[in-house]
Order: sequence, then C-alpha cells, then structure tokens
Amino acid sequence: MSAVEKISQPPARKVDWNWLGIAPFFLFAIVFLFLPSLSIFYRSFQANDGSLTFDNIIALFTVRDIINAYKTSLTISLITAVGGAIFGFLLAYAVVLGGLPRGIRTFMSTFSGVASNFAGVPLAFAFIATMGNAGLVTRWIEGIFNISTRELGFSIYNMWGLSIVYMYFQFPLMVLIMAPALDGLRREWREACENLGGNSYHYWRYVAFPILMPSLLGTMILLFGNAFGAYATAYAFSGSFINLVTILIGAQIQGDVLYNPGLGNALALGMIFIMGMCMAGYAWMQQRAARWLR
Amino acid sequence: MTFLEINNVSKKFGATEAVSDFNLKIEKGELVSFLGPSGCGKTTTLRMVAGFEMPTGGRIVMDGRDITEMPPNQRDVGMVFQSYALFPNMTVAGNIGFGLKVMKKSPDETQKRVEEMLGLINMPEYAQRYPYQLSGGQQQRVALARALALRPDVLLLDEPLSALDAKIRVSLRAEIRAIQRKLGITAIYVTHDQEEALSLSDRVVVMNAGKMEQVGTPFEIYNFPQTAFVASFVGTLNSTEAEVVDPAKGIISVGGIQFTSAEDLKNRKQGEKVRMSIRPERLSFASEQKKDNVVDCTIENITFLGSVVRIQVKIGSVKFNMDTFNNPFLELPKIGDKDQVTCSKEAVLVLDS
Amino acid sequence: MKKINIWAWIVLLIGMVYFFLPLISTLEFSMKMIKDRYTFEAFRVAFTDRAFFEHFGYSVLWALLTIFFSTLLVVPTAYWVHWKLPKARPYVEFVTLMPFVVPAVVLTFGLIRLYGRPPILLIGSPILLIAGYIVLSLPYMFRAVDTGLRSIDVRTLTEAALSLGAGWGTILTKVIFPNLRVAILSGVFLTFAIVMGEFTFASLLAWPAFGPYMEEIGSMRAYTPQALSLVSFLLTWASIGLLQWIGRGRVQEQVAGAH
Repeated sequence: MSAVEKISQPPARKVDWNWLGIAPFFLFAIVFLFLPSLSIFYRSFQANDGSLTFDNIIALFTVRDIINAYKTSLTISLITAVGGAIFGFLLAYAVVLGGLPRGIRTFMSTFSGVASNFAGVPLAFAFIATMGNAGLVTRWIEGIFNISTRELGFSIYNMWGLSIVYMYFQFPLMVLIMAPALDGLRREWREACENLGGNSYHYWRYVAFPILMPSLLGTMILLFGNAFGAYATAYAFSGSFINLVTILIGAQIQGDVLYNPGLGNALALGMIFIMGMCMAGYAWMQQRAARWLR
Repeated sequence: MTFLEINNVSKKFGATEAVSDFNLKIEKGELVSFLGPSGCGKTTTLRMVAGFEMPTGGRIVMDGRDITEMPPNQRDVGMVFQSYALFPNMTVAGNIGFGLKVMKKSPDETQKRVEEMLGLINMPEYAQRYPYQLSGGQQQRVALARALALRPDVLLLDEPLSALDAKIRVSLRAEIRAIQRKLGITAIYVTHDQEEALSLSDRVVVMNAGKMEQVGTPFEIYNFPQTAFVASFVGTLNSTEAEVVDPAKGIISVGGIQFTSAEDLKNRKQGEKVRMSIRPERLSFASEQKKDNVVDCTIENITFLGSVVRIQVKIGSVKFNMDTFNNPFLELPKIGDKDQVTCSKEAVLVLDS
Repeated sequence: MKKINIWAWIVLLIGMVYFFLPLISTLEFSMKMIKDRYTFEAFRVAFTDRAFFEHFGYSVLWALLTIFFSTLLVVPTAYWVHWKLPKARPYVEFVTLMPFVVPAVVLTFGLIRLYGRPPILLIGSPILLIAGYIVLSLPYMFRAVDTGLRSIDVRTLTEAALSLGAGWGTILTKVIFPNLRVAILSGVFLTFAIVMGEFTFASLLAWPAFGPYMEEIGSMRAYTPQALSLVSFLLTWASIGLLQWIGRGRVQEQVAGAH
C-alpha cells in the first residue's frame, strides 16, 4: 500500500486480537472471582423463596447478633490496625534507620514474611500455648503474683486476646510495607533540613512524616482490611466464643442453626463493601505517595 | 581578608584516607572550586565544611570561629545538593521559607524574604508549585534560593549541575556566578567538570586521591600546571615521554626530535626521562608564522569540532593534536601531507615522568 | 542519627520477645507430653500418625496443582501485558487486587452458592479448592512475575531476539524464562507456603488438607497440635528462606502473607 493510499483510507475498525492473549486470565477471574461476587450481590436481595426483598440488608442493621458481629469485627480491625501501625512503624524504623547491624534488617525481612504467613491455625495454637489456661506466660504470671487466673475468671478468649494474636501478622505486614517507604526517605532531605537550621523534631514534623503519611495511612487501611477478613485464626483461637462477621459467614456455609442463604449473602455483601472501601482507600493513598516519592 | 580557613584537614574512613592534609584559606566573597575526578575527596571536604562529616584531623575556622565540631544545623552555611534535595511535600515557597520557619520568623517576614529570593532566581510565579512539577534546572534554582534565604556566610555547592542537560548547565552556571557576585557571598563549588571550574571560579583547587595537587587561578592552573595530573586533567593536552638533552639550554628530545623549552631544566640531568606536554592550541602551522620550535610532521587525521578544527599530526613517531580556530576560508591540508608545525618555547611544558 | 540507637535496640527487643515467646511456649508445651519430663514424644506421635502424612500429602498435592495452573495462567498473561498489551495493565492489576477485597470466607460462600449445587455441581471434585487457591495466590504470583519482567525489559529483549531471527519458541525458552527463573521461583515458594498453611478454603469446602487436620487434632488432643504448629512454622520458614535466598534481596514486600 502506498503512502497516499494509506492516508486516504478511513480509519480501520480493527479488532485488536491482542486481547485474546489475556482472555484465559480474565476468563478465570470472571468465573471464579467476579461471578461469585456478583451472585452474592444479587442473592442478597433474594428471600428464601426467591422473591426480591430488602429484608436481608435490613437484617444487617437490625438483628442484634449481626450488629454485634460487625461491631466486634470493626473494633478488632481498628485496634489491630492502629496498634499494628504504631508498633510496626517503630519496628520498621528501628530496623531501617535505627543504626542496627545490617544483618538484622535481612533477618527481620525474612521473619516478617514468615510471621505474616504463620497466621491461621498454627498461630492460634501457639498463642493458646502462651496465654491459655495452661500457657507458659499464664503460668509465669500465676507464679509471680501467686494468683489463679481461672479463679479470677480471667480469659483471653475475647476481643483483646484475639487482638494480641492478630498483631502477629499485623506487625510484620507493617514492617514489610513501611521498610521500603523508609528507604525512600533520602538522606539529603535530612541533611538539607539540618543545613537550614532544623533538628530531628523539625525533620520529622515538617518533612519525614508528611512524606510518609500517605504510606502510613494506606498501610493502616490495609491492616484494617486484613484483620476484618481474617477467618482461620479467629476460628482456631476462639471458635464461636467471639462473634465475628467472618465466623458468622463460615457458620452459614457449614449450614449452621440460623441457616438463611439470603442473610449469608447479605453478610458477605457487607464484607465486600467494607473491604472494597479499604482497597479504594489504600489505592488512593498509594497514588499520593507515589507522586511525592517519585 | 581570610574568611574561611581549612587547616591540615584530613578524613579517614576505616583504613582509607579520603582526604589528607587539606590546607586552604578562602577570602570573603571568593568562589573557590574543588576540581577532580570521582573519589578524589572533594565532596568529602565540602561535607566537612558543612558539618555532615567530622574531620579526623585538622581544624576548620570560619570568621574567626572554630567550627570543626559544630553540628551542621548551627553553622551558618547554605548547601546546594547534587540531587536538589527539595522537600517534595512542600511548595516552592514552602521550601525556600523552611529555614525561616525553623528560626520562628514571622510569616510576614518569611513571605517577604521568599518573594525576594524568587525574584533573585527569576521565578516569581512559581511560588505555589510543587517540586515534581518543575524541571531539573528550575528545581536547582529553587534549591539555590532555599540555601540563600538564610543569608549564610558561606555557600556550598556539591556538583549542582551534573544532573542537568548540557545547555541548561551552561546558562545556569552563569546565573549562579552572577548571583554569587551580586551577593558577595563566599562560596565553595565542587565539580568534576573542568570547564565549569575554569569558567566560574576565582581560584581552583585541583584534587586527586585525597590530596591537593595545585591551587591557583583558572589561568594559572590551565597555563602553568605544576604536575602531570593537573596538566592532563585540566583541558586537553598532548603528553609524551621525552629525554633531557641539554639542561642548560632547556632542550629535550621527543623520540629523536628536539624541542626547546622555556622551563628551567638546570636541576635536571642529561638523559633524564621526563614528560613533555603541550596544549593543542599552542601548536600551529609553520607556514603562518615561525616560532621558536619548528618541526616536520605528517598529517594523520582532521576532525571538525565546530568552532575548532582538530588536526592530528605525527611528529617523528609520536602523534600530537593541534587545534586551530575554524575559518571557512581556511585551506586545510589533506591527510598524508607532509608539513611543518611550530610552537613557542613557553608552550613546551616539561614535567616529571 | 547514632543517638537513637538505644531506642532502636529496645524496640527490637520488645518485638523479638513478642514474636518468639509464642514459639518458645509452643515448643515448651509440646515437650511436656510425658509427665515431669521434657521430650520430643509429641513430635514422634505426630509424625507416626498416618493421618498426618495423608493430610500433609494432600496439601502438597494441592500446592503443586495450584502452582502448576497458577504459573500457566499468570506467566503468559504477564508476558503478554508487557510485550503486546500495556493498555490492559490497569485491568489486570485490578484483578490481582480483587482477592484482597473478597476474603477467603466470602469467596467460598459465593463459590459454593454458584457452583456447589445443580445444575453446576463442582463440589465433588477439587476444582473449587484449586480455583480458590489460585485466586489466593494470584496477587503474589503476578506481582513476582511482573517485577521480574519489568527488571529485564521484556520488549527490548524480545525485539532484539526477533531481529536476530529467533522464533517464539526460542524466545520464550532461551531468552525470557531463564531471566524469569528467579521471579517465578519466588512466586512458587510463596504459593507453596500459602497453600500449605491454608485453612479456610479446605475446611469450608470439606477437603482433606494440613490446615483442617491441625485444627481437628487441636480440638481432640493435646501436645501433638503444638508440635504440628512448630512443624508448620518451620516449613513456612524454609519456604520463605529459600525464596529470599534465591531472590537475594529482590523480593521483599511481596512476601506479606495471607491470614
């Protein structure tokens, strides 16, 4: 085709066959990810007989057990997100900028990867062996203070106990994400700050924390979502002692007492909604962080 | 009047001596360059003046005060970094005014000073922009303004232009020099680009492997290099092995061909191996004008460099570069021609082998 | 910054205490199987239980299947996005973020509702389980391969190979995959660690696996569950350790695990 012919032709309505190349991937995602999620969505509005209803959604906000479950889930997520963010950040700081030997950073890196994957059944057992009735720490404390936890009616199988367990994967997650962010704090910024008369306080208040803030907030949101969606650890640790949304959904799947598919769907939908907001928040923060740390 | 004294300063990192026995007295309002290749210690010395490194030996005295052990945030120096180091989360105005904010100056005073600085670097409309919205050259100007906002006694510049395009580099360095002159501020400029050092400075310190090779004005450094390193690092240079023929008359031999040098060779022995160096622009065709030395040569290569034409000639068995100004009406010889070149006695540099 | 050193050590110490105390407790507890003595009896009992090998074996099987299909799905896609279809990147990345939005419990719920009953009855075969695992490992697998591809500038390499006359087979086997070896391996080890420790999918979809087995043992016996916990921990450590050793510094953030 000569150049003249090419120019005089109307723009071709070509099908970009390249998209076929990634069709398997999207097909898989659609079948095993999107369709189930969508089905959850529309079945939330289905009553037991198949008719359209808002009852399930309303139940989310009215049934006491459900409200409590959401409350507990949200609270635990908040506690472990904030707590995990604070101590995780301190740990990341200590390892990256604290002047510790290089080997410690590598070790922390590996260990964080391990710890965050340790979550689930083994983690729960480990903490039961630590803080449970016959746990090591429990026995130490009983020995030192000469008390019996059982008589005091003290139990770790509540929201606070579970929070302590959750921290085992929240801290590492924070470290794994914040360490590179801390690396991104260029040495010259600190030097420029000192050169202009500032000290540590000025540096952190006006330069470092503002720069890190999007990463910090974004990771905190991620931690929140992480805790909210946790199932295995909670199940293995406290079973049905603690009322969590994930446990409720699990119960629905196992055909538990309150077997009500529409309700299960609504619960799941509620979760997807909350997790979706978390991811959106995280993505937004990541964008802002990228802009400055380019 | 000496303003900044760097006395016998040295810096050791473990077993490596990055800087050894650095001695310099800088006058007020003077711009001194530290020139040298990577790793020669120029940045380390600068950082010791700034306070980011502590000398392992020697003292630094500024305006009569010994600042050797003073922390960087108490010294009255302004630093411009190679990577600009602008705070990405602050606007241009925020960056420039940062030092004033730290000193708890009133917002009005800060604003006035920021506007003043923006005027100085000729970027008044950029106050509310963020660093990521600026080009490299613009960022560096803001960095300069930020350093100058606090009216420091000394301005330190660490290879400020090496991250920029060639064209911007040339215009920006003129701007920097103009600002430095206008404010009369004492400055130290670190660079590995000898053109930068020569064009900007009142004096140049050439450094190599942690030691000072030579200190002098650009003119002195270029025309009267005292060591082989300075001669080869600064400007282009023809350099080759030679032998002393007659110390009293200053005659040396390059592969059998004799050159008379104006250098004092009386302390050398006949037959001593030396290094003969000559700047390309000091050679010319003998047909134009005959000078002290006239030698036969063969034309090896002709390269057109724009304003300069570089002709490679072979004298005896050694190749020399000869630079002449481009002249459209110049009749250039052809490759392989036999010709004669000439140079003055003063042009022939004799350095230690 | 040297002055903050002491605080860094204190924080590190507190962190180490928190992280190691449960491990020590578990070890201590597991060694008390025989009264008044510390032994490794619990470990011996755990390992000689046939059910252990059965369930452990199943998990290994699931892991291998997952790795196989996941690699098959992810690597060509990632390569395609880099080479031919950069426009598709946002969509693909969105898909890899979805597993975080739809936690395992919720996904299981949806999968069962949709495919767990007539007319589509997938519950009888482990398809749902493997699919779930693939979804779980998708973000990590993709990110590992994606980073690997990015670091070798796929386009330029492919174009250079094409201009030198190489066919697609040669390009893939001799140019792309060797350079991607590290990235793929890191994705593989991570997936392995995730699947071995997984509980939710296996339990709710009622398939034999190491996770549910541990939980079951935990509710029936004492001492052996703790021993198994430690085994699980060591296994994860080995996987991640190998991953790090192979990647040697290139794969830090990707290691953050599921729960």
